[in-house]
Amino acid sequence: MQIKKDEVVWLLLFIAPTIILFFLFFIIPILFLFVTSFTNWDGISAEFVGLENYTKLFNKKSFVRAITNNLYWCLTAALITVPLALIIALLLAHRSRGWKVFRTVLFIPQVVSSAAIAMLWAAMFNAEYGLVNFLLDYIGFSDYKNHNWLGNVRTANAALIGFSLCYVGYFMVIMLAKTAGISEDYYDAANIDGASQFQKDLHITAPLIKSTFFLCIILAVIFNLRQFEYVYLMTAGGPANKTQVLVVYIWNELSVQRLGRGNAAGVIMIAIGAILLLSLRKLLKSETYN
Amino acid sequence: MIKSILKLFSVVFISTSLTVISTVASAEITINWPSIWVGKDSKSTVISELVDEFNAANSGSIKVVIEEQTDYDIYAQKLTAQISTGDLPDIFTVGADLLDILHRSGKAMDLAPHVASDSHWSNVYPDGALESNMMGGQLTNLPYELFVTPVTYNKKLLKAAGYDEFPATYDEFFKMCEAVTATGKVCTSQMTAKNAWTSMLWFSQALASAGGPNVYDRGLDDPAFVKAFEVMEKMYQYTTSDAVGADAGVSGGHFLNERTAVFMNGPWFIARYTSDGIPGLHENIGVAPAPMLTGGEGAPGGYVGGKQSSLAAGKQSDPAKEEAVVKFLKWLTTPENVARLSYSSGAMFIVKADLPSDMDRLFIEMNEQKGNAPYVAKTFMNGMGSLPIVSEFPQALSALALGEVTPEGAVEMLKDAE
Repeated sequence: MQIKKDEVVWLLLFIAPTIILFFLFFIIPILFLFVTSFTNWDGISAEFVGLENYTKLFNKKSFVRAITNNLYWCLTAALITVPLALIIALLLAHRSRGWKVFRTVLFIPQVVSSAAIAMLWAAMFNAEYGLVNFLLDYIGFSDYKNHNWLGNVRTANAALIGFSLCYVGYFMVIMLAKTAGISEDYYDAANIDGASQFQKDLHITAPLIKSTFFLCIILAVIFNLRQFEYVYLMTAGGPANKTQVLVVYIWNELSVQRLGRGNAAGVIMIAIGAILLLSLRKLLKSETYN
Repeated sequence: MIKSILKLFSVVFISTSLTVISTVASAEITINWPSIWVGKDSKSTVISELVDEFNAANSGSIKVVIEEQTDYDIYAQKLTAQISTGDLPDIFTVGADLLDILHRSGKAMDLAPHVASDSHWSNVYPDGALESNMMGGQLTNLPYELFVTPVTYNKKLLKAAGYDEFPATYDEFFKMCEAVTATGKVCTSQMTAKNAWTSMLWFSQALASAGGPNVYDRGLDDPAFVKAFEVMEKMYQYTTSDAVGADAGVSGGHFLNERTAVFMNGPWFIARYTSDGIPGLHENIGVAPAPMLTGGEGAPGGYVGGKQSSLAAGKQSDPAKEEAVVKFLKWLTTPENVARLSYSSGAMFIVKADLPSDMDRLFIEMNEQKGNAPYVAKTFMNGMGSLPIVSEFPQALSALALGEVTPEGAVEMLKDAE
């Protein structure tokens, strides 16, 4: 489509607010982050220190562990949470009796503050009075009677990532919504061919929501790259920095007035995010059937 | 025509009246105070009363509004950010670790001219107390709450373990812990979450005992740091199973519910032995100086404590508001009001106040022991003078407690944080 000369003015006028806001609240902060990452800015004064912040960060075990942990979060979300959400979405897509109740129950955690969920699970995992240990003891695992799930280097990460996997409601609803748009004709044809429910799920529903499934994986990776609330409230990166993640690490740097180094960590996080997103986009390219 | 004139006149009259009313209304100065002395804090009741009384006495001219800050650590982090951005509250409390950056920010109100122009503060503060807080000729904070952190122990639980007196050395202390464990109780309350406060206090005691009160001047290479971590390593053998990852609420809760026999915190916790402890707990509590390390440079009876919080104010462009803020700060620092705060909470203050003769027994004991102490050493948090090191302490402590690092390794973690 050709844009006429007199339309250009209007075009610019209409997109100007978006461009201005984008620059003000996205480009400028990122530039600021980038520039200050080369300084020892402490909130009051700043001096140029070159690449010192970056070299110090990569020499710190806790920072490298934060990156590794973030990748664990992303990986488990992509490989477990989203596929689990897909399975539940496929089951609910049958519209069996009571499916709306299940859908609501699974989605409820999404409308509860993640801080509240974190506090709830911290209490569940408590070594002295937690429900998890009580139940394990009740079913015969008495070795776990006083196990400190979040305070043990071997179980802290697993407990933290493990419980978060239960929260599949968000992705489940996205995929369920997509199934609603699939034409009944496909299923009618499959019924005539004598396909079982499993075959219909596997050969019709799943392929038709593939693009949404991939979108969910990308969203899950983004969400988990910026994981903060659960880790901060339940372990604060401990014990012994074993559950450290990037945003909590950045938060810690900022709270001790090392804003320059915190910003350098922020730049690294943006770079990791960009690399992950580009890789995923390349990896998960899919055609749309509908 | 006349109708139109009357309409116009009415509109002008109403708008003028509204303007006058709003001007009169806005003449009241509002002072915002994000306060940590709210909720469960032992000072909350009297602070609330003081604010109400001040507002009543200055009705129509000044109104102090408390913004409740229920989490001390989150408050400290928020304040740190506010100092950096220069967006300081009208009035606030500030810990010793943030005083330097507060001064350097140039955004805090300089109270020196007000101290000089009025005898109030020179009368209520001990000699030299304000001068020692001045930096570059400016006074950006008023020292307010003090603290000491003796051991508080449950006499009933210790007696059941065969102990009538609190041990004087760590060797005896750990023997006592064995005996307490044998009775089915847990010896100490520990924690590693947030700033690991109560465990940090134990560490500070062990540090002063090993290296003397000036240990911080010699830095992390001093062997006293390793010795203090050795004490902590052993301490975690006699604590609750949830100590790693526990916060002050959990750590204090165990002692309040008689699950643990020994606890360390400041005098502000005294009121909670009665309000939140199991019935009869307060009567069973004893106070003692921390044990000593055999061969250490500290002295028996040595205490750990210092400045807990200071009062400060954000710089004001409006002289009337500045005066209002100063007026409220004076209100908070009158000897009568400080005595009320101290009486109700058990907290200690630097302001000279005539405390009632029926002050809490534990407060009196702490005060006496402090008076007899050969020194009051700084806590690790205040003495190190480095936010990154202090911030890394909980991680180093949890690594030590879980056997991930040796005491030497824990010191290395602190060095690495810098």
